Amino acid sequence: MPASLSRPRLSRPLLRPPTLQLFDLPMVFSLPTFGRADVQTFRRGDVPTFRRSVALAFSSPMYSICPASMANDDSTANQPEAPRSGFLARTLLSTDHKVIGLNYLWLALFSVFLGLAMSLLMRIHLVWPGIRLPFLSGSSLERYAALTTFHGSLMVFLVLTAAPQAGFGNYFLPLQIGAREMAFPKLNRLSFWATAASLFGLTVAFLAAPETGITLWVASVALFCLASLCSGINFSVTTIDLRAKGMTLPRLPLTVWAWFINAILSTLIFSILLAASVCLLSDRLLSTHFFPPLNFLAGQPASFVANFLPVLWQRLFWFFAQAEVYIAMLPCFGLTTHLISTFSRKPVWMERLVVLALCGVGVFGFCVWGQHMFSSGMNPFSPLVFSLLASSLGLPAAILLISWLGTLWNARIQLNTSMLFAVGFVSLFLAGGISGIFLAGHDLAAAAVSDEFITGHFHLVMGVAATFAILGALFFWFPKLFGRRLNESLGKIHFWLTFAGVYLVFMPMHWLGLLSHSNIYSGSRAAAIAAMVGPVRAFITVAAILMVFAQGIFLVNFLWSLFRGEKVEQRNPWRATTLEWTLPSPPPTGDFGPTGPVVYRGAYEFSVPGVAEDFVPQHLSPEEVVKAR
Amino acid sequence: MPGTTSAPEIELIIEDIGGGGGGKPPAGGDDGDDGGGDNDNRRRKQSSSSKRYSTAITIALVSILMFFMALASAFLVLRHGSDVWVTVHLPRLLWANTLVLLASSFTLEAARRRLSLADPSGFRKFWLFTTGLGLLFVAGQLIAWRQLVAQGVYIASNQASSFFYIFTGAHAVHLLGGVGALLYVSFRKFEKTSVSLSVAAEIASYYWHFMDGLWVFLLVLLYLGK
Repeated sequence: MPASLSRPRLSRPLLRPPTLQLFDLPMVFSLPTFGRADVQTFRRGDVPTFRRSVALAFSSPMYSICPASMANDDSTANQPEAPRSGFLARTLLSTDHKVIGLNYLWLALFSVFLGLAMSLLMRIHLVWPGIRLPFLSGSSLERYAALTTFHGSLMVFLVLTAAPQAGFGNYFLPLQIGAREMAFPKLNRLSFWATAASLFGLTVAFLAAPETGITLWVASVALFCLASLCSGINFSVTTIDLRAKGMTLPRLPLTVWAWFINAILSTLIFSILLAASVCLLSDRLLSTHFFPPLNFLAGQPASFVANFLPVLWQRLFWFFAQAEVYIAMLPCFGLTTHLISTFSRKPVWMERLVVLALCGVGVFGFCVWGQHMFSSGMNPFSPLVFSLLASSLGLPAAILLISWLGTLWNARIQLNTSMLFAVGFVSLFLAGGISGIFLAGHDLAAAAVSDEFITGHFHLVMGVAATFAILGALFFWFPKLFGRRLNESLGKIHFWLTFAGVYLVFMPMHWLGLLSHSNIYSGSRAAAIAAMVGPVRAFITVAAILMVFAQGIFLVNFLWSLFRGEKVEQRNPWRATTLEWTLPSPPPTGDFGPTGPVVYRGAYEFSVPGVAEDFVPQHLSPEEVVKAR
Repeated sequence: MPGTTSAPEIELIIEDIGGGGGGKPPAGGDDGDDGGGDNDNRRRKQSSSSKRYSTAITIALVSILMFFMALASAFLVLRHGSDVWVTVHLPRLLWANTLVLLASSFTLEAARRRLSLADPSGFRKFWLFTTGLGLLFVAGQLIAWRQLVAQGVYIASNQASSFFYIFTGAHAVHLLGGVGALLYVSFRKFEKTSVSLSVAAEIASYYWHFMDGLWVFLLVLLYLGK
């Protein structure tokens, strides 16, 4: 399908607000009759509930059951479902991919606020060490390190890996490819509970004494690796084998491509961390010496090559970790591309090249572990190679950026909160990515920057850009998840406060990082500049405190909308093209029913010339598409 | 007129569907393509609902391979950078164990051949014999460990012994998982499941032969890296 940069304008401008479309043009919105035309009527009130007080939080549509047998279904293979299962079976023990996806999202929501609290403790302690803080008073160095480790583990593992991939992916991957369920539902449930157990282990590790704590931390990370491996296999097999009729690989939405590539990457990469964790646990519990500590080295003969032994851990860890950051980013790339295209009402510009770029990011992730080890004493020529490879990551990143900008070009942009977050992602990714180009240069990284530059860099790309993509996806899919809308005004206020806040927090960090190593100033000028470091740090901390409290707006919006938000009656409020929007909100158990949808076209058919509407959903057969007059 | 220019595009789409691209039909009992396209063996075509298991085991095997490759690369880095590498003399028993494991692969294939010849009792006989050989292998590994401990070579003695124990231990753990899979295949009633016995046996065989090959690789690695 040729995707030109700017589509010709429609012959008839669309003046009607979206809510009326359903009734004016019934043919375009001919609801797909997959044998369950009346399922939409089954809402919360229809399902008898008892013990309302207990089930209050979980009687909302996200956890309601609409048994497939209640639909008009002629298939003899479909037996009537058993009576409604108990509370536990429906929520915590369910194998339904939608419930598991939501469970991951709740886990991530809890973890992100816990991680934010940790970061506040860190920042306050950094700038005002005298203040008595919970957990940090007692002032042992190890406590601060434990805080940093816990914050990082929570954010990278439980938020950035769990939310966009396991959370949204579990919920929407089967829906977007037209499958009824993931390939291995019970394995899915096991993965979720292993992830939850690893979160519990990480928290206990944080609270325990350092020696036990570190061992418990490593064991929890190993458990998380196992969970991610199983989840990755599940996603890969589902995408490979369970696509609906007509859903060929070129027609996959980019979100699915991102989840799929990410799943393959996960299955390859988490094994490495698992192996490294096993070796580390063996060191700690069985007294082996895979990663010998200094006192062991001191007892060795003088010819023992001491400096490279600890580097083994660095190699193993960074081989995993560099690919892990792409595991965190890939679903966000997919989500952003999807959102930008949907709300620009234009196809993704250079869609196939974007898919190749996503693959490129995945492949390159394997080749650049050395970029974290420039000053570790490796072979002196290796920084050149790694620097080159790391810089070449700019190529897929540039392709993605050009595609996003090209999609936005000349478009009738619908600037709702979801789109704001998507465009915010582009801004933050660009800002953070540019500093990455500097960091890829081996001479700069080794000599000229301190931790704060790097901290600013990776927080902009991973910490905030990825979070924006998750929030954008949440605002986009909230109607489908819960049948209600998030409040747009609160959402926009929250967006602008956060957007300004993250730049105020992380941009000065770049300056601080460069400053601590620069030698271009001397004498009194240097002293004057050095005197500014403290106030800048304080500024960052104050901005961080304000920004974290601004997230309260999001929390209020989210919780209020969950129970009292404006209900969304139509299935496709955003007028999107992908398959999940053909189902009721929230989708019933069994998703599409025994007969899956049939897919006739790609996922980004927006503003197609000659068609009455400005989008053509994937599932409409060509006869059903209404032409422009 | 916009209407006419759009028609050819839509017709192209219909042709796409006719071609079938790479899209697989949903679980409707249709026989999909054989995943490996291996026409030499008498391999049964798998229905699409059971194709997922062979895809899964393939990906899982690559994942397990990455795990052992991480350990192997750590082994090689430490081995070749060290001036004080202590040689661990591999117990002779390991070679006998290797033969046991190789034999188990042969009996596994014999079992599958029996199954395809519609000889369920012959299948069970060979299948359980394979399981027994697998357990014999693990027992042999434990005895080899005890032999080393009797010589005073513990897991923490030196890096070479650490790697020996970690390699053989990780392999034995995976092999026990394989034994569990073999037992599951032999005792599960396959009439009501979506997967047939022959498909389940095939998938178990992938895993088992992989464990076999992995053991040979680990043995060679440990022997050459002594």
